[in-house]
Amino acid sequence: MMARRKLGDRLFWGACILAFLCIAGPAIAVLISVFHQAVPALGWSLFTKRTNSIGIQNAILGTLVLLLGVLIVAGSVGVAAGIYLAEFADGRVGSVLRFLSEVLAGMPSIVIGYIGYITLVIEFHWGFSLLAAILALSVLVLPYVVKTTEVALRQVPGALREAAAGLGLPRWATVYRILMRPAWPAIVSGLVVALAISTGETAPLLFTAGFSDRNPTLQLLHHQLPYLTGVTYTDISLPGARAHATAAAAGAVTLVMLIILIAVGRVVSARARRDTARMSL
Amino acid sequence: MTDDVSIWQAAAEPTAVRSGPREVQSRVPKVPTETVFTIEDLSFFYGDHKAISDVSMTIGHHEVTAFIGPSGCGKTTFLRCLNRLNDLIPNTRTEGQIDFLGHSIFGADVKPIELRRRIGMVFQRPNPFPTSIYENVALAPRLHGMKKGLDDIVEESLRKAALWDEVKLKLKASAFGLSGGQQQRLCIARAIAMKPEVVLMDEPCAALDPIATLRIEELMVQLKSDYAILVVTHNMQQASRVSDRTAFFSVAVDEKGTRTGHMIEMGPTDIMFTTPTDKRTEDYITGRFG
Repeated sequence: MMARRKLGDRLFWGACILAFLCIAGPAIAVLISVFHQAVPALGWSLFTKRTNSIGIQNAILGTLVLLLGVLIVAGSVGVAAGIYLAEFADGRVGSVLRFLSEVLAGMPSIVIGYIGYITLVIEFHWGFSLLAAILALSVLVLPYVVKTTEVALRQVPGALREAAAGLGLPRWATVYRILMRPAWPAIVSGLVVALAISTGETAPLLFTAGFSDRNPTLQLLHHQLPYLTGVTYTDISLPGARAHATAAAAGAVTLVMLIILIAVGRVVSARARRDTARMSL
Repeated sequence: MTDDVSIWQAAAEPTAVRSGPREVQSRVPKVPTETVFTIEDLSFFYGDHKAISDVSMTIGHHEVTAFIGPSGCGKTTFLRCLNRLNDLIPNTRTEGQIDFLGHSIFGADVKPIELRRRIGMVFQRPNPFPTSIYENVALAPRLHGMKKGLDDIVEESLRKAALWDEVKLKLKASAFGLSGGQQQRLCIARAIAMKPEVVLMDEPCAALDPIATLRIEELMVQLKSDYAILVVTHNMQQASRVSDRTAFFSVAVDEKGTRTGHMIEMGPTDIMFTTPTDKRTEDYITGRFG
């Protein structure tokens, strides 16, 4: 009887280890492969020169500016919408909004890019521009921010809302002064996920950002914008080993950014778990 | 406007036999106190389910009034009607009248938020805000515009809640570092910081150990000099220890199996616990059921 249990236990552990290898394996393989191919292009010139002379400084800066823009736009709209859904929306309005948010989440990124192109680049006459790119990326990641904000607020114990109501505090004060504090770490980790997605997205940017060999200015309209995945996309199809190495280098820098963002996200959610664990409610 | 004197005159006369809750006459002459709540034929519905039925009573100021009864008889629901906290639950309905200091709490000009500033509430499980001890007490007064004098308000409230000496050196520490009993006293301090007239307490000692419970009970008796205290409790000994008047609730089950709460009897605690009029009260108090 015990022997059967031990066997079952071992089999199960074996299956878990196998599953882990299936996940870790490809991830590590991709990392090794990309860094290996990027080796010829690695060097200081990667960060000091721009794409017109085999560097990617402009692309790195472009991606960083995009991330900042997405944080501002998707962050503010998404968090506000999440707060609204969690605290203020009544049943029917809430259901409709959540449904629309899920539809948006399912939309292919290339479709969002295309819509951005037709409306913002062409119709509004913005041309390939920073603002068009930021808006397209923000629309893409918005459902994630909304969902994680709403979930973060729902996880705050109802006892706090009751206590605030018992004191005669108005709704907005309850949310802003009392509920946001324990919800904040979870919201931040949702924002980090949104940024991580934005770092790697290419399709919307193909249609809205264009590309540029110059460093990004903070001009919102009419100026094209360089970005890291664009370098990978273009240079892969150019002839010559140097171009391929640059493409891999851009990919490697993208991966490094992703890893940093994910690490930050994990640190923040670990703090969230520690803080909520103290609430014995 | 309720006429305080006439209520007490009515109570002193022998009441005609009628069904429903009866006021028990006390053999101890009673000094008329200010009435803080007058409740008439209060019924409360969750959807179609009648949770409490036709409750009528008066509640005096500067007194501790206890509500006892078996589980599910609507004591907590009744308490939450008094500060309209039940308004926050969707699909509910209230019928009947509740007057707070002479004015109906359901009047068109009454804002529930304002009402809840004058009627504080302490809950079964301590629920301090996830901030510092100081902030817990100061938050509500600050949001109501009191910018200066917050330190004094905090100290006064913590002193009245018998917590000041234990926390005066660590006001900026997190409220979650306190023990359960201390957290509950913090919640009481938080409630009285708004200087309400009434403090509602829904089984405040349910989650606490006996020593902490005793301290809260002492607190209830101290606080009645400034506030009207209404306590829902499962603990009959607690009710007999701390309260001046007690109301006994029970649940009636009809043929369909729906449970509705009724107030059976209400009167001075000494009478209720020694010579209650209704047999159901006597059965509950002596432990034959519930």
